[in-house]
Amino acid sequence: MRGKILSVVAAVAFVLAAAPAIAHHSFAAEFDENKPIKLTGKVVEMRWSNPHAWIYLDVNNNGKTERWAFETGAANGLFRRGWRKEDLPAGTVLVIQGWQARNGSNTANAGSITFQDGKRLFAGSSNPNAERLLEGK
Amino acid sequence: MSRMEFRMQHSEFRTVVRLALGVALVAVLAIGDAFAQDAPPPPPRGRGAGAAGQAGPGGGRGRGGPEAGPIRRLPDGKPDLSGFYNGNGRGANYGLENHPTQGLTPGGQGIIVDPPDGKLPMQEWAKAELASRQTPARGYDDPTAHCIMAAGVPRAFYVPSPFFIMQTPTDVAVLFERMAWRRIPIDANRKHLPDNVRLWQGDSIGHWEGDTLVVDSTNFNGKPWLNEAGEITSHALHVVERFTPVNATTIMYRATLTDPIVYTRPFTIEVQLIRDPEGEMLEVACHEDNQDLQHMKDVKDAGTGLK
Repeated sequence: MRGKILSVVAAVAFVLAAAPAIAHHSFAAEFDENKPIKLTGKVVEMRWSNPHAWIYLDVNNNGKTERWAFETGAANGLFRRGWRKEDLPAGTVLVIQGWQARNGSNTANAGSITFQDGKRLFAGSSNPNAERLLEGK
Repeated sequence: MSRMEFRMQHSEFRTVVRLALGVALVAVLAIGDAFAQDAPPPPPRGRGAGAAGQAGPGGGRGRGGPEAGPIRRLPDGKPDLSGFYNGNGRGANYGLENHPTQGLTPGGQGIIVDPPDGKLPMQEWAKAELASRQTPARGYDDPTAHCIMAAGVPRAFYVPSPFFIMQTPTDVAVLFERMAWRRIPIDANRKHLPDNVRLWQGDSIGHWEGDTLVVDSTNFNGKPWLNEAGEITSHALHVVERFTPVNATTIMYRATLTDPIVYTRPFTIEVQLIRDPEGEMLEVACHEDNQDLQHMKDVKDAGTGLK
């Protein structure tokens, strides 16, 4: 499975910069640029839904498990970028960087995801600025 | 589910989508016939329309380069606009003017070609309303956040979401992947709907001027936003769009917006529509899991003291 995931990462990474982000709302209205976050956890579910897909992540916070929801691009956008349903199974350990929702809930816009071996994917964030912001460009 | 099983499902899904597109076009044309009227259309009022092949500012050719081949044509000689397209919006969904990136809001190159300074000729009240819409609390008010109808005219041609143009000698239908569709009858004897009929995408009538499809639209309801930045139109909006094919894969799209309630003069935008011969429409059930709406409602309520 790890090989499969990485092959997808390699296959789609080059198209991500050119692929348009699909969103239906203002990122700045929903997410707070002053609340960047970086969390490590295990994937509970990758939900292929509209108007955005969601990655649910269980994060260990000093012995207490917190569930976070990370918004990504829309399901159709992820599909065009090469994502497939089986590519992010439950239990996968990820580091996700993004920006927390302004309403203060455990919700965030996913800017990038990083696998355990260091492979990083600007994985269909609904925020077209994600790569630039995370790279400090 | 294995990858093969998923792809088989996708193949079947594509067949369903093709059937759905066909059914949608038939439905669109049938509905349109019910509204057919007899008077001639208003004269075209497009401003600053360019000649075929004229390059726009920053106009990347995409797939529409010299290798793209000549304009495709239907048996009647008219340009064939049909196919799967993406608009090269160059950041217009975050502001029509040239603007830098600010925080989480992407920058844009600017798509206004008239007035020459590339600025929106807004009235003073509109500037204040725009500033209000750009606060986080107002993000909830963008109708597309609610998955209501299409992005609108002309926004649907520069949002980062594809669309499919279907064309017959008498009708052009645009099926927007994200939401909804739009039918443009090509009918020299048609007149606009009565003034008291107000629509999200307005009432459109098309005619050909050489190789350019000119579309005149009125009867807007004034509710759509021009982009996520909240740029404004009112019910007085009148849009003249010009679809000029440049080659087999590129349409130069110009739209002149006249709205005396919001603007001091008409203005014109220009983007390229790039056809992808390999592209296919996918299903988007926009309101399926629209968690954003509740998040943005929380922000709006907090900003207005309701929460």
